[in-house]
Amino acid sequence: MFLSRLLKPTVTASAHCDLPCGVYDPEQARIEAESCYKIIEKYKASNDELFKTRAIVIKEERAELAKHHIDVLWSDYFKPEHVQKYPEITELCWKAAKQCSKVKGSLELGDAKTLLEMIDKIADVWTKAGGPQATRVQNGVAARA
Amino acid sequence: MEPALSAGDWIVVTGVGRGPRVGEIVLLRDPREPERLMLKRVAGVADGACTVLGDRPEESTDSRAFGPVPLGNVLGRALFRYAPIGRIGWLW
Repeated sequence: MFLSRLLKPTVTASAHCDLPCGVYDPEQARIEAESCYKIIEKYKASNDELFKTRAIVIKEERAELAKHHIDVLWSDYFKPEHVQKYPEITELCWKAAKQCSKVKGSLELGDAKTLLEMIDKIADVWTKAGGPQATRVQNGVAARA
Repeated sequence: MEPALSAGDWIVVTGVGRGPRVGEIVLLRDPREPERLMLKRVAGVADGACTVLGDRPEESTDSRAFGPVPLGNVLGRALFRYAPIGRIGWLW
């Protein structure tokens, strides 16, 4: 015990990847974008001015979150080897982030729909790049633990 | 850094007077968060900075994410693992 205490290192260094959890999934962005879509629908169906004001505020928040999740995928998940193999990902992320800004200021369902389609294209690349296996905890892991 | 290093390994680190060399595992300050210490393998040294990579590229966040690290951030090189007993050995 004494020897172990004596020899115990005094400094800890991280030998593995990142402080963040390493879980990346375009679904996070999609859910926020779906919120934007549904909020626009509800906005258009409502005659309540207070509700409509709240809808706009919340839609802007959700669009900002969608943008954040796309940025995280782009800057943290996609690595140079992914870009080499799927060069379209740079433009997909860039355009989707811009579309988030558009949805933020728009009440057109079509804009929100375009954003959903863009996120789906990012998700296709994420899937092809092995995202589901590399970043998500597979079903059944919790049950076995 | 698996399989070279595993979580919980106890290692000896020495200074890098002569500067890091390609292939060595170095102890360095994370350029994004200097209080955080990391162990990575040197992949290249040029212009006062070294490129470091993890041994498992698919899971590692390294120079591919944060770019080359200034040599001033490199504190030492990993020499020897003295625990756990079954994994005692040189790291270079």
